[in-house]
Amino acid sequence: MDLLEYQAKELFRTVGIPVLPSQRIDRPKDLRNLTIPYPVVLKSQVYIGGRGRMGGVRFVENTIDAVAAAQTIFNLPIMGEYPKALLAEAKFDAVQEFYLAVTLNRSIRRPVLLGSCKGGMEVQSAIDQMQQVVVDGDFSPFYARQLALKMGLQGDLMNAVSAVIEKMYWLMDDKDLDLVEINPLAVDSAGQIMALDGKVTVNDGSLGRHPDLASLSESPIINPLDLQPELQMTMETDGTIGIICNGAGLTMATLDLVYQMGGKPLCFLNIGSETHHQWLPSTLCQRLEQGLARMGQQSQLKVILINLVGGIVSCQEIAQTLVQFLQAHTRNMRTYSRGQEESIVSRVVFTPQIIVRLVGKDYEAAKETLSGTSIVLLEDLDESIRELMSRVKRSKS
Amino acid sequence: MIFPPTSQVIIQGITEPLGMTYAPLMKAYGTHIVAGVSPGAGGGTVAGIPIYDMVEQIPAISRGISTTVICTHPYAALDAALEAIRAGIRQIILISQGIPPLDMVHLVRQAEATETLVVGPNGPGVIVPGQISLGIHPPDFYMPGNVGLITRNGPLTYEIARTLTRAGIGQSIGVSIGCDAIVGSTFPQWLQILEEDDQTEVIVLVGEIGGDSEERAAHYISEAIDKPVIAYIAGHTAPRNRRIGHAGAIIESRTFDFGPDIGTAESKVAAFKRAGVPVAERPSQIPDLVHKLLKRSPSNLQAS
Repeated sequence: MDLLEYQAKELFRTVGIPVLPSQRIDRPKDLRNLTIPYPVVLKSQVYIGGRGRMGGVRFVENTIDAVAAAQTIFNLPIMGEYPKALLAEAKFDAVQEFYLAVTLNRSIRRPVLLGSCKGGMEVQSAIDQMQQVVVDGDFSPFYARQLALKMGLQGDLMNAVSAVIEKMYWLMDDKDLDLVEINPLAVDSAGQIMALDGKVTVNDGSLGRHPDLASLSESPIINPLDLQPELQMTMETDGTIGIICNGAGLTMATLDLVYQMGGKPLCFLNIGSETHHQWLPSTLCQRLEQGLARMGQQSQLKVILINLVGGIVSCQEIAQTLVQFLQAHTRNMRTYSRGQEESIVSRVVFTPQIIVRLVGKDYEAAKETLSGTSIVLLEDLDESIRELMSRVKRSKS
Repeated sequence: MIFPPTSQVIIQGITEPLGMTYAPLMKAYGTHIVAGVSPGAGGGTVAGIPIYDMVEQIPAISRGISTTVICTHPYAALDAALEAIRAGIRQIILISQGIPPLDMVHLVRQAEATETLVVGPNGPGVIVPGQISLGIHPPDFYMPGNVGLITRNGPLTYEIARTLTRAGIGQSIGVSIGCDAIVGSTFPQWLQILEEDDQTEVIVLVGEIGGDSEERAAHYISEAIDKPVIAYIAGHTAPRNRRIGHAGAIIESRTFDFGPDIGTAESKVAAFKRAGVPVAERPSQIPDLVHKLLKRSPSNLQAS
């Protein structure tokens, strides 16, 4: 979860990273109660970067100008995103700008400190000059001094900048952040430093232990850790095939096989969660049912391929879930035909055909269970993809 | 093998649904589960396994417990692992998903300092077919043999184990290093373990898009591994920048030391090909590639 600039700066303020006096503006008339003396900077509060170049940052000298500028910024989308609020901030005369960041390097499994003596809007020059320090052992401020020295800083400035880096590190550590970035960290002619912009990304999986940060989220947190992860269906723009698998790896491998055979999936869904601490054998069948209901809403779908390598969940349990699902989606319908009396027939109202590929315990029993239904059961993965493709071809003709 | 069948094993988080489900299955496979740990549930039992509030209370601790399988709430997993290390346990299998990345950084530092092997998190753990189950691998899909199977996923691992087993090719071990972005042990570490393992003749490595684990594995193979390796990569056609489930499978290059192409299937396949590692196009192709390499390997030549 990304924080807006003003939220990031509130965190900075609590840990003593220097930020300018500022005030959040929710509507232009809030500017009448501005407590910061003019001139001030008005900044669009959007999640996306690059607002400065697009007119999302304006300097104003008085209330009349400020209200007009605020109206303009509120109505100016940045890459399609309208501001949630504005931040009114005191002006700062920078003579030098640095880039600083603290993040995790997944590959070496260590936090890294990043710094460039060329910060600001020119991203490429910041990257060209980027210095890095890997926090190999338990953190201590010397890592921050190492980075400041590598950036070419000396004397008081070196100490001041490394103090900011140290605070950024502790903030990341304390709040489970994926990224803390200050760009620019500005220096004025008196040698005073100031974080002029801030970007903070909170680790989504850790929000459960940071209620203060979770409350900043625009939408309620959808995945409290005590519940199974919510099903997230991925949609393509085109196609007639739906794919349901358990596990991300198996989902990706199945997608690859379908594409290799010339298939076009419209949507796919990973219903796996077998490493969740609340997982029970019944979880897989529940999620299968939810997944089918979700896919049933896609009117374009012709065939659904279900590929489950369930481990300890037997083929029979999965087959029974499928039968129950179809029964729940069967309606009694009146039919009228000429010369005959009105009659009632049962019809399955779930339209996509289902091919299910299962392996493991009780395969024969599952076959028996599904024998009276329209569902095709197969054991071999390649064969089930071939069956899928032949059904897709038939559904076109 | 580093997980002998005589290993004394405990399960931390044994009263979580995950622990309750798999404790009896591990025990039924023959794994010596000597105790479960669950704060507040001390004195109870699960499937005949005694539960303690703390690791240090387990009587067998004095005779040496080699391994713990952790099924706790993800926010309790770091604490459980540190408690196990403190009690002298040097093999930690983390099953639970959702452990915060910074908790893993802390655990990796402690594990390195104490020479503790950490497997996972967010993976099925380890199985040595016919001998010991340390996690949630479905034993029916495995049989004893000479292929070392290393992956970083769950059900796809079982798919490939089953494909090998049905082709008559057994496995010396099945291990998933876990699906998360930060895991306790890496592909190079496992390649080295299998290089030194007498049971293993061929290594099958199953990777997927995202991160640079496969690129690093390929580099390590060309530098240090003499045994034949076969690779398979999932995710050639997965949409970029969209989430399928594994945090590690999102292709991104935010940190500056990742080039733009690292993490894609093409980059991984190219890295393995440069290292002389054959790459299977689909799971069903893997048994043929293993057969070819087994025929060529020196131990087989001596036998024939």
